Amino acid sequence: MANPATETTRKKRWVFVMEPDRCIDCEACMVACSVENHVPIGEHRNWIAHRETGAFPDLNLSFMPENCHHCDNPPCERVCPTGATYQRDDGIVLIDYDKCIGCKYCIQACPYDARYVNEEKQAVDKCTFCVHRLDAGQPPACVETCIGGARHFGDLNDPESEVSKLLATHDYTRLYEEAGTGPAIYYIRGK
Amino acid sequence: MREVEFHWNVLIVIYLFTAGVSAGAFVISGLATYLGGAKYKRISRIGAMIAPCPLIFGLGMLVFDLTKPLQFWWLFLTVQWTSPMSIGSWLLTFFSLLSIIYFLLWIPRPWRDLLRVPHRWGEIFSPKRWQSLSRRDVGIARRVIAAIGFPVGLGVGMYTGVLLGAIPARPLWNTPMVAQLFLFSAMSTGVATVLLIAALVRDKSDADHLHHERHFLVSVDAVLIVFEIFIIIPFFLHQALNTWSSAESVNLIMGGPYTLAFWVGVILLGLLVPLAIEGFELYPVVWREAAVKYSRLWGGVSAALVLVGGFLLRYIFVYAGQVSHFLPLLER
Ligand code: SF4
Ligand code: SF4
Repeated sequence: MANPATETTRKKRWVFVMEPDRCIDCEACMVACSVENHVPIGEHRNWIAHRETGAFPDLNLSFMPENCHHCDNPPCERVCPTGATYQRDDGIVLIDYDKCIGCKYCIQACPYDARYVNEEKQAVDKCTFCVHRLDAGQPPACVETCIGGARHFGDLNDPESEVSKLLATHDYTRLYEEAGTGPAIYYIRGK
Repeated sequence: MREVEFHWNVLIVIYLFTAGVSAGAFVISGLATYLGGAKYKRISRIGAMIAPCPLIFGLGMLVFDLTKPLQFWWLFLTVQWTSPMSIGSWLLTFFSLLSIIYFLLWIPRPWRDLLRVPHRWGEIFSPKRWQSLSRRDVGIARRVIAAIGFPVGLGVGMYTGVLLGAIPARPLWNTPMVAQLFLFSAMSTGVATVLLIAALVRDKSDADHLHHERHFLVSVDAVLIVFEIFIIIPFFLHQALNTWSSAESVNLIMGGPYTLAFWVGVILLGLLVPLAIEGFELYPVVWREAAVKYSRLWGGVSAALVLVGGFLLRYIFVYAGQVSHFLPLLER
């Protein structure tokens, strides 16, 4: 049986490739996102996860920029009772805010805690990969703003894209990949 | 630690609990109708009178919890086969309908005559000629509705667990045993509600009648409690010996913040004490072929404890489950 979480069947597959080694936890991406997408105060569509590895005195802390993983096989979409959460052909997972009744089932189902309740919209909300910019040919706001160059964005199914080249030449991991969600955020392993 | 936000709160707990009580009350009433007929008539009636009430209250809670309560009916514009909540909404609607019809069929005689239905096809369009149901018709109708509602009621009981269990991201919920546990607990809380009302209402039946009635209810409840215990034991064994995420998730009730509530509230007061009381009540029947040793006080206490335990069980699962998470959990 085909692995539901592989991206091979899509014509386009938008992904993030993050370089934790370049992230300095300045949170400029979080600010840029909140401004771009009018995120209510107190909520965030993106964030910096901290991964601690090693044992004292050889401790290592890396900063992992994160947002909705736009899972290829999204658990949030599967459980939505009204069909408000849906997936576009290019893999982007979106919410139809008019259709969402706010049952919060999708919030429970997301393994990455990517979703929040947007009181203004009376609906659940999350990162959209900045589709409004994407469809106009621009990269997501967080990518454009990242001062360390830790966030890369592009089409995984285009072998000439920056992200494809990075993944071809580096070792990488994805979060909770074993769960079969097919997350679209790749993390380049540190040196 | 990353801060946990409880997006599902006590309203959801109330909803899961009341849906279970309704399903249990309906199923026990149907069972009594088929197994005992006139012998268990009082049980059938009490169960039927209860069935729609908690559920309607619980559905109100659920709707109130939505960010758009007035748009709840959008659930019914679609069927999403992979969403337990979608299937459950349809199931609950069907069940509410059945339990209301069943309720009407069991209301005492003076009011029942208000129930008028068409008797021949031609009458459907001329409501003036609708007749009130005869005694025999009512008997048949009750059995038909009980038979249809039986699997639907079991489905509702199971659904309250599947709703949680179908979510891989919450390791505490993500096991079939949650659905089994919630199903048997739903049936048990339904029976307990009938027992509680039966204990509160003074009745004039003869001793023999009461003996049969109590024997039936108490035995069913005792069996259900034993089932629950034998689901909880493997649940712990399996979770503890499972992946890191699952093993950590049971630590929430094995030393974590929900330990006391679970072991004292659910296990001791909600299952073991009522089982002991019921064992004491049934003891004379099993060993001495005598009548059930029943006092309304102890019967009422054990039924009330079952209800408290059932509520706590759902409370703990809904809250602790939201804390459980795939591991490693990265700090933010
Ligand atoms: S990360 Fe969460 S919200 Fe985003 S697609 Fe996956 S499950 Fe859905
Ligand atoms: S909160 Fe909205 S998007 Fe999420 S599952 Fe419910 S209806 Fe769907």
